[in-house]
Amino acid sequence: MAVRIERVPGGEFALTTADFFINWARESALWPLTFGLACCAIEMMGAYASRFDFDRMGVIPRPSPRQADVMIIAGTVVKKMAEPIRLIYAQMPEPKFVISMGSCANCGGPYYDSYSVVKGVDKIIPVDIYIAGCPPRPEALQFAITKLQEKIGRSSPTRSALATPYQEKGSRVW
Amino acid sequence: MTEISVSGIVEIIKKRYPSITVAEPSLIKGVTSFKASSGTDYLGVIRAFKEDLGFEYLDFLTAVDWKGAVDARGYIMDPNPNPFLPEGAVEQSEVKANPNFQYRDHFEVVVVLSNWKEKLKAAVRIELTRGNPRLPSLYDLWKTADWQERETFDLLGIEFEGHPNLKKILTPDFIQGHPLRKDYVHVKDQYD
Repeated sequence: MAVRIERVPGGEFALTTADFFINWARESALWPLTFGLACCAIEMMGAYASRFDFDRMGVIPRPSPRQADVMIIAGTVVKKMAEPIRLIYAQMPEPKFVISMGSCANCGGPYYDSYSVVKGVDKIIPVDIYIAGCPPRPEALQFAITKLQEKIGRSSPTRSALATPYQEKGSRVW
Repeated sequence: MTEISVSGIVEIIKKRYPSITVAEPSLIKGVTSFKASSGTDYLGVIRAFKEDLGFEYLDFLTAVDWKGAVDARGYIMDPNPNPFLPEGAVEQSEVKANPNFQYRDHFEVVVVLSNWKEKLKAAVRIELTRGNPRLPSLYDLWKTADWQERETFDLLGIEFEGHPNLKKILTPDFIQGHPLRKDYVHVKDQYD
């Protein structure tokens, strides 16, 4: 059931489920953390700017992890950056989502043989959406945002104990 | 100090330090390059550059590992064992050393200095044997040398005697060894 609008004398009211309503609120205002690690961050900035304009999807970059819903890992994760990323992820309030943007964040990418690069950010934190590309174009990030919205739309927050089920423990089960 | 030119510097250096020669090629991107053999009085040479010849500014200090199979253009032809290959996999391209190129089993420390008055740049390259690479620290001449020597120590393992705080600066603590050495072998850690 999506939304059912009833007309009554003097106005109208909407009938829907709590799940749909909560998911609708969550997916319509995905606020990502302003957080870029390498060249993918340039594409991410391009996505926020006027040509692609993520603002119209409710995606507004936030300067603090306390205000953010999504963390876009845009770039190469080096081993020295692993602990700060864990800390930032822990500081984000539930529900929280992670988009891994580009080859480096997915699996290490061209730096796979390096001594200093983490072989995929999913070794540190759970990831919801992976975007392929080196770097992915802003359209790909846009696609990832819509995919994340679909994923949020499929969840049922009223039936699970946590806001997002056991994300803190790294579970991918919804 | 009177006016000084590149040829003037070469004359003065030749007179005082016969072990120092002009490297080939001598001029790389406007930097005159000098070569010193491993037994040279390194600190004395650099002090002479600073105090007598007016090279008052340390651009940077770094080092090069000339070991092993690199071709004439400097590309590694014989890479280290790759610890990240999947089990049973082999390297896709087998590359061999270039027989026409003389490999040298030693380090080379490069110090690039500037003379702002005469708009001159000079690079002093000193060779170090691989077994126990040691040099006196330039910290007393330039405070800039502090972090640069720490970086050179961290990545290539060259020890600078007299440095006040010679410890890791770039690599995280769990990385063992000096990663930019050609014979560095990576040990897998929790992020691999």
